[in-house]
Amino acid sequence: MAIPMAMATPTDSLSRVWSMSSLKSSLPSVTCRLPSSSPPRPVTLRLPSFSGLSPVNPLISTGLPGWQSFEDGFKIIDGGGRVYAMRHGRRVPKLNRPPDQRKALLRGLTTQLLKHGRIKTTRARASAMRKFVDKMITLAKDGSLHKRRQALGYIYEKQIVHALFAEVPDRYGERNGGYTRIIRTLPRRGDNAPMAYIELV
Amino acid sequence: MAASVDPLVVGRVIGDVLDMFIPTANMSVYFGPKHITNGCEIKPSAAVNPPRVIISGNSNELYTLVMTDPDAPSPSEPNMREWVHWIVVDIPGGTNPSKGKEILQYMEPRPPVGIHRYIFVLFRQNSPVGMMVQQPPSRANFSTRMFAGHLDLGLPVATVYFNAQKEPASRRR
Repeated sequence: MAIPMAMATPTDSLSRVWSMSSLKSSLPSVTCRLPSSSPPRPVTLRLPSFSGLSPVNPLISTGLPGWQSFEDGFKIIDGGGRVYAMRHGRRVPKLNRPPDQRKALLRGLTTQLLKHGRIKTTRARASAMRKFVDKMITLAKDGSLHKRRQALGYIYEKQIVHALFAEVPDRYGERNGGYTRIIRTLPRRGDNAPMAYIELV
Repeated sequence: MAASVDPLVVGRVIGDVLDMFIPTANMSVYFGPKHITNGCEIKPSAAVNPPRVIISGNSNELYTLVMTDPDAPSPSEPNMREWVHWIVVDIPGGTNPSKGKEILQYMEPRPPVGIHRYIFVLFRQNSPVGMMVQQPPSRANFSTRMFAGHLDLGLPVATVYFNAQKEPASRRR
């Protein structure tokens, strides 16, 4: 709201009082009646502003009927999800990371496993990435262009995807699932984290 | 996850390289101060020289030692399975491979890609082998089973394996 300074000049050079009329005329016009009477009378504001997503303020009554309680002003839209205090039935491994970082970590790990054939990582990560490695090999088994593009969207290096699609039918043609093997090994020295080798079968 | 608790089965040494056997001899392999246990991690820089191997048994028995790598050049594509690193025959029991006849000179582990398994296999010989075996034409595509069949060595008597991967070229600070 830039107040044009040129307009706000004192009416005469000797007076210290600013004229409000020039200021008021420069401001955008707001048609509102400021409450001059006592507060118990409800105030109606017609503001030319967007108020679509805010819950209707019960203090500003626009004539909608029948609120009995606070929740009536809100329409709760949820997927029917239940919130428990415990972890019962939750099978997604969180790996101590927010979802975007978790996805990136798993993408990187599957890329490295498909590149090197055997990697050493922590047991939690190894058992979390099994699902995604199997998924990539299943995409390669199908072999169509759509599946290839889906694999390219997940694996970070495209040569690995092309090599995977070339060799998976020979290597895993008869095997149904279970394309990885996890071998537990000694804990890491720095933080005693349980480690494991994960390898392509 | 593992069908059996035997680390050789879990690590697929039995399966890729060897057949199921019952160990009847003791073999201890040392790279410097480090004793090799199944699946331990060894740096290639520590394995430059041949290890110190102590074989049990009495001195009128002869043993054969083979060291191979089934994951050459990469565990995901082992085209050159197996790559043989060391073959020593006619080792008298209770001693080390320096007393035997080295058919193939020791080559240090040099894994280019991924984590490779390096397997020491010990066979008991029925008779002195000496002249019957020559150096294999190339180190690649070696078959320990066929080698044992060719020399009539039967099943191995002891096995141990370790893992090694390429060390990063620059010093990690």
